[in-house]
Amino acid sequence: MLEAADFQQAFGAMLAAPDTVADSAIRRALTIHRNTASKAARDALFANFPVVAALVGEDAFAACASSYVDAVPPAEARLCLYGDRFAAFVDAWAAFAEAPYLGAVGSVERLVVEALFAADAPLLDPAVLANGIDPEAVLQRHPASRTAKTLAPAASLWLAHQPDAPEDALESIVWQPELILVTRPEDAIEVRVIDVPTRAFLAGTTLVDAAERAAGEGGDVAEIFASLLGAGAFAAQDQQGELQ
Amino acid sequence: MSMTAGLGFKLEHLDEALTARNPGLWFEVHAENYMVDGGPRLRALVALAERFPISLHGVGLSLASVEPPAPEHLRRLRALTDRIRPAAVSDHLAWQKWEGAHHSDFLPFPRTRQALDITAGNVSRVQDALGRAIMVENPSLYVDLPGHEMDEATFLAELARRTGCGLLVDVNNIYVSASNLRFSAEARVDAIPAEIVGEIHLAGHRPDPDPASGLLIDSHDAPISDPVWLLYERLIGRTGVRPTLIERDDDIPPFPELMLERDRAHRLLAERESVDA
Repeated sequence: MLEAADFQQAFGAMLAAPDTVADSAIRRALTIHRNTASKAARDALFANFPVVAALVGEDAFAACASSYVDAVPPAEARLCLYGDRFAAFVDAWAAFAEAPYLGAVGSVERLVVEALFAADAPLLDPAVLANGIDPEAVLQRHPASRTAKTLAPAASLWLAHQPDAPEDALESIVWQPELILVTRPEDAIEVRVIDVPTRAFLAGTTLVDAAERAAGEGGDVAEIFASLLGAGAFAAQDQQGELQ
Repeated sequence: MSMTAGLGFKLEHLDEALTARNPGLWFEVHAENYMVDGGPRLRALVALAERFPISLHGVGLSLASVEPPAPEHLRRLRALTDRIRPAAVSDHLAWQKWEGAHHSDFLPFPRTRQALDITAGNVSRVQDALGRAIMVENPSLYVDLPGHEMDEATFLAELARRTGCGLLVDVNNIYVSASNLRFSAEARVDAIPAEIVGEIHLAGHRPDPDPASGLLIDSHDAPISDPVWLLYERLIGRTGVRPTLIERDDDIPPFPELMLERDRAHRLLAERESVDA
């Protein structure tokens, strides 16, 4: 009797290279299993990186995605989270060398996926502006909030591919690096380009620290704080300043 | 009315699903798509679960793997069952893990006594972690492996006897496997121990794009075929009314079109109920 562990080891090795198997019936079965699994993983990449797919077209994206699936197969069954290294893979994909911004767009899409499935938490209520907030309390980022810096205008490219984008969105993009904030106020993801003082504010541990950092970059602290509250960048605090 | 025919839930159908009033309607989701920390998709499922019975169908427990289910995977599945309180939890008689990679299909294995011990151990681990019984589904098979010590119906019946799990009978998978491995689908359906069947799946299949193989592929991207409907009637003639899923995962048609297939299964179950009554 073939031990189960030995069988799974041998079958797994054949699955990685079905063409090397002599028996035609086993070869075809392996190929069907391999195709089914690859398609599921590829479909997950199409779902998680729709703007990169739109920018390069379906066939070019499928070729890159198939190669990624072979190189970095899913490590677990939650394919809705698949593709944590895909942006870097896109960046290095030779066929996309003419479009060096694609990796940056992919990294924005990865942040969107992370934000989409991050933990729920009540947002810090903008009423704190009127009611007051302890300036020494810890300013807690919302679990769905993400920041990044990209060398290309990746957030603007992402925004230009959303259903509600203005018609001239692509033409009006200024080709420059961008600081990006991704949040999830209510049920929808928001992506916005932020300035240096706003990024400095977000790096603060307490309100007073955040204000000092933003002011140090020449920012209007009240305006920045109000804008970030509206974006849903912070989680509500309890008496101890802990995440509720 | 209790659960009759259900549909695989697709997020793009949320509004239509929430307002559907078809008697006996329920929904199934792939558990892994919702085993996340939070966010709008999980909230959509919570909203759906407030109105309809939900069946959590796992595609990642890898029950026949020599490697047991990951504790983190079980913890997340338990958190989801605590939150959704599903009517049923299920996964497949297959393995999926190899050298740290997850293979998103259902791989075959020789049905040996050792494989039965391994699978029973894994099913028990899952049931202990969840504090409830699960159901195990027969997969689609594409090649007749050497080394089987028992047939699939016997393996599943013994698995159920040892662990207390139920059976999820995928009629399309029986049809596809019978065609591919050249055995009688009718005899396979008749060998199912009716009393432990807790759910039935119906789906579409396609011929292998490589016509030389002569195989059918379990593709879930087409309407249910007539021979599968006939096998289904044969099965519920023995089991009586069982919650039955219309499973569609690709080339997904509009909600009303899926609901037509769902209503066909519902009518067959309603007829069955009147015969039994």
